[in-house]
Amino acid sequence: MMEIGLTHYLVLSTVLFSIGLLGVMRRKNLLMLFFATEILLNAVNVGFAAISHYYNDLTGQMFAFFIIAIAASEVAVGLGLLIAWYKRHGNINLDAMSSMRG
Amino acid sequence: MLSHVNISLESLNIATLVPMLIPIVGALFILVLDLFKKDQRKSMYVMLSLLFVMLDFGSLIDSSIDFNTNGTILGYFDMMLVDGLALLGQFIIVGASILFIPLALTSKRFHEFSYPEFFALFLFMISGFQFMVATDNLILIFIGLEMASLALYTLIALHNRSKSFEAAVKYFTMGALAAGFFAFGSMVLYALTGSVEIHQMAAVFNADEFANLPFILVGVVFLLAALGFKVSLVPFHTWAPDVYEGASASMAGYMSIVPKIAGFVVVMRMFEFLIHSGVVWLNVVLYAIVIVTMTAANIWALVQSDVKRMLAYSSISHAGFVMAAILIGTTQANSALFLYWILFTFTNLGAFSMLWISRQKNLAAGQSSDHSYNKFAGLIKVAPISATIMALFMLSLAGLPPFALFWGKIYMISAAVSSGYVVLALIMALNSAIAGYYYLKLIIYMFMKEPEIDIESKVYTMNSSVSLRTIIGIAAVGTVFASIVVNPLIEFITAFVYNSGY
Repeated sequence: MMEIGLTHYLVLSTVLFSIGLLGVMRRKNLLMLFFATEILLNAVNVGFAAISHYYNDLTGQMFAFFIIAIAASEVAVGLGLLIAWYKRHGNINLDAMSSMRG
Repeated sequence: MLSHVNISLESLNIATLVPMLIPIVGALFILVLDLFKKDQRKSMYVMLSLLFVMLDFGSLIDSSIDFNTNGTILGYFDMMLVDGLALLGQFIIVGASILFIPLALTSKRFHEFSYPEFFALFLFMISGFQFMVATDNLILIFIGLEMASLALYTLIALHNRSKSFEAAVKYFTMGALAAGFFAFGSMVLYALTGSVEIHQMAAVFNADEFANLPFILVGVVFLLAALGFKVSLVPFHTWAPDVYEGASASMAGYMSIVPKIAGFVVVMRMFEFLIHSGVVWLNVVLYAIVIVTMTAANIWALVQSDVKRMLAYSSISHAGFVMAAILIGTTQANSALFLYWILFTFTNLGAFSMLWISRQKNLAAGQSSDHSYNKFAGLIKVAPISATIMALFMLSLAGLPPFALFWGKIYMISAAVSSGYVVLALIMALNSAIAGYYYLKLIIYMFMKEPEIDIESKVYTMNSSVSLRTIIGIAAVGTVFASIVVNPLIEFITAFVYNSGY
C-alpha cells in the first residue's frame, strides 16, 4: 500500500489550481467565473493544510482559515456586483461587457 | 493538549495598531450614527471621515517620532512591523486620502455620496492599505490587500453608471485572480521555508544558498504577478484603462496613487533580499518588466482619444518608471521611489480633479466620451483659468524642469546612474521624452485649436465648489513650488529608508 505523503497533496493542489486558472481564463459566464476563483483559492487551502501538517506548524492552517474567510467575503461582493449587473442588462455574460475599448 | 497560554499585554505593543484602528473606529462610528439618525447631510460625513483620517495622520507622526528614537517597532507576535517603509507608505496613503476625501463635496449631487456606507467603506479601505504596508507577514499582507480591494470594488460600483458596473466587475475578476496568485505564491514559499514572514524566508534562503531555486522562482513569479495586478505592471495591466474610465474621476485619481504605493512597499520588502541574492534570472525578469511597462504603456497612451484613458496609461508608465527603483535596490533608489510618489500624488491629484470638476451629465453632440480630447479643444478661449491649471499639471507629468515630477525623475535617474544602470537610465530618459508628446498633445488642443464641439463654458466648471477649488489649489501649489521642499523631503525620506535597512 502506497503511503500518501506531502507530494501527493501538493500535486493535487497544483492540479486543482490549474483547473481553476483554466476556468478563469475560459469561462464567459460570470457565475462560472466566480466558481473558478473559488476553486483557485480552495486549491491553495489543500496545499496549506498539508504543508502545515508536514512541518507540524499551525501557521499554514491559520493562513488557510483566513483564505476561507477572504473567499467568502469575495463571493459576497462578487454576487452583489453580479446582481446589480443582471438588473441592468439581463445577462451575466462577460462578452457583453465591452462598452469600453481602446 | 494545548498548554495554558499566557501573554503579557506589554508584549503585544498595542501602540503599533493604533494608526489602523482609528479609521476602523471611524467607519463603525459613521455606520452607527446612520442607524440612530438617518439622512444626515453629506458634508457631515465628509467632515467626520476627514476628522478620523487626520487623527490617523497625527498618530502616524507620533509613531514616526517613536521610530526615530527607538528604531523599528514590532508588535502582536511580530505580526506588526513599524519601520521606515511602513511609516512612509502610510504617510502617503493617509495624506493622499486627506486630499481626496473633500472631492466628495461637489456642487452637483451624486448618488454615491448620499450613502454613509461610501465613507465607511472608504475608511475601511484606508486601514486595509495601512495593514498591508505595516507588516512582513504574508497572511496580514493578504488580508490587508483583500480588505482594501473588496472595499474599492464596491466604491467603484457605487458610482451609478453603466460603465461603473462594468469597471467594477472587470476589476473584481482581475482582483480575484490576483488573490489566487498571491495565495499560491505564498503557499510555494511556505512549503520551501516553513514560514510566512519575509525576513525568515530570506534567512532560510540565504542559509541554504537558494538550493531549491526553480521552486523559489515559481513562488516569486506568482507573488510578482499578484502584486503586478495591483500596481498595474504591463502584462497584468489590462484592467487599468477600463476601470479608470468607468470609475468616477476622483476615484480613478485615488486608484492611481494609493493602492500602488501599498503594492510598491510590499514589492520592496519582498525583493530586497532577492535582488541582492545574485540570482541573475530574477534581475532579468524584473528588468524586462520595468522596460516593457514604461515603453508599451507610453505607446498605448499616444493613441488614446480620451484624456482619462490617456492618464490611465500614463500612470501605468509611471508605475513602470518607479519599479526601476526596486530593480536598482539601493537606499538612494528606494528613497527616490517615495519622493517620486509623493510628487506624483500632488500632480495626479490635480489632473484628475480637473477632470472631476468638468464632469458632465450628458455628452454633447460630437463628443465621443466623457473627457475626449476634442472636449478640451480651444479651452483657453472658453475657460482660461481651467486651461492654464490643466496645462500646469500636464507639464509636471511630462517632467518639465521647475515642476514637481521633474525632481522625482532626475533623482530616480541619478540613482540609476550612480549604481551603474546606465542603459536603464537612458531608457528612462527616453521614455520621459516620449511621454512628453501625449501630454503636450492635450496642451496643444487646449491652447492652439479652435473649439470643436458646441459646449457651454459652464460645463468646464460644472462640478466646482469651494472644497474642490481648494484641493486643486493645494495640488497646484504643491506642483509649482515642489523645488523648495525637495531637498528637506529627500533627507527626511532617506533617513527613514536607511534606518529600516533598505
